[in-house]
Amino acid sequence: MSENKNIMKREDENMENTHELPSIRPMVDIFENDGEILLYTDMPGVVKKDININMDNGKLYLSGVRRMEKSGATTWEEFGDVEYTRTFSVPQSIDIAKVSAELTDGVLKLHLPKSEAAKPRRIEIKSA
Amino acid sequence: MFTRWSDIDRMFGVMDLMRGNFDRLSNEFYRSRGNTSSWVLSDGIPRTNLYDKGDSFAICAEVPGFAKEDLNIRLQGNYLEISGKRKSDLPEGYSIHRSERGTFDFSRSMTLPTEVDSSKVEAALKDGILTLTLPKAEAAKPKLISVN
Repeated sequence: MSENKNIMKREDENMENTHELPSIRPMVDIFENDGEILLYTDMPGVVKKDININMDNGKLYLSGVRRMEKSGATTWEEFGDVEYTRTFSVPQSIDIAKVSAELTDGVLKLHLPKSEAAKPRRIEIKSA
Repeated sequence: MFTRWSDIDRMFGVMDLMRGNFDRLSNEFYRSRGNTSSWVLSDGIPRTNLYDKGDSFAICAEVPGFAKEDLNIRLQGNYLEISGKRKSDLPEGYSIHRSERGTFDFSRSMTLPTEVDSSKVEAALKDGILTLTLPKAEAAKPKLISVN
């Protein structure tokens, strides 16, 4: 038989198993007032440049990657490199152009302002 | 004969495909189970790492949302206690939709492997991670022994 057949598929042809960071769903607080929705997320150890905030089609994707610096021998380790990721549905009434975010002490604060049309309005009654 | 071989090949191909799917499933399972979503361990204490750097120890702890004033670090011999209280950062005039983070009160103590020099301990807080550098006491430092 001149033809060689591989009975097993070769492992290295399987390109989809790349190294993946463990992912954690971070804890959030969500607040709302008349002007905006405010979202707080705990992301300890994540620096500003490693945070991605995407809004697309009514969905808000949050992602923050933490890379720890290691030095010396590990005696114990309870946390390490991780990706914080969570997705939210946001109402259509959010003004995407005005969304802003700040990061202080490992807490991400995301301001989602409501568009003018969605803000509550007080309607005056005119005397007839 | 050759058609048989291709049959076997196809069968293994299907098995590989199924194994791949199961792998993915179990990966998803462990990813969702292996890490709790919260930054604290189940009994309400923040996660810590301890590294031995030879001359000193480095301890890292996850303390998001804590200010410098909210943390207390006490050291007695080789007994270290970190405690803290996170104040509620609830903004004024907002209604709450979801509250998972909450206020937080913790105390974690640990025994270090050796005595440390308590006068030279340094603590730094950056991006919600507390890093302590604890130089070892003179007697506990590694020493170079020369052969005569």
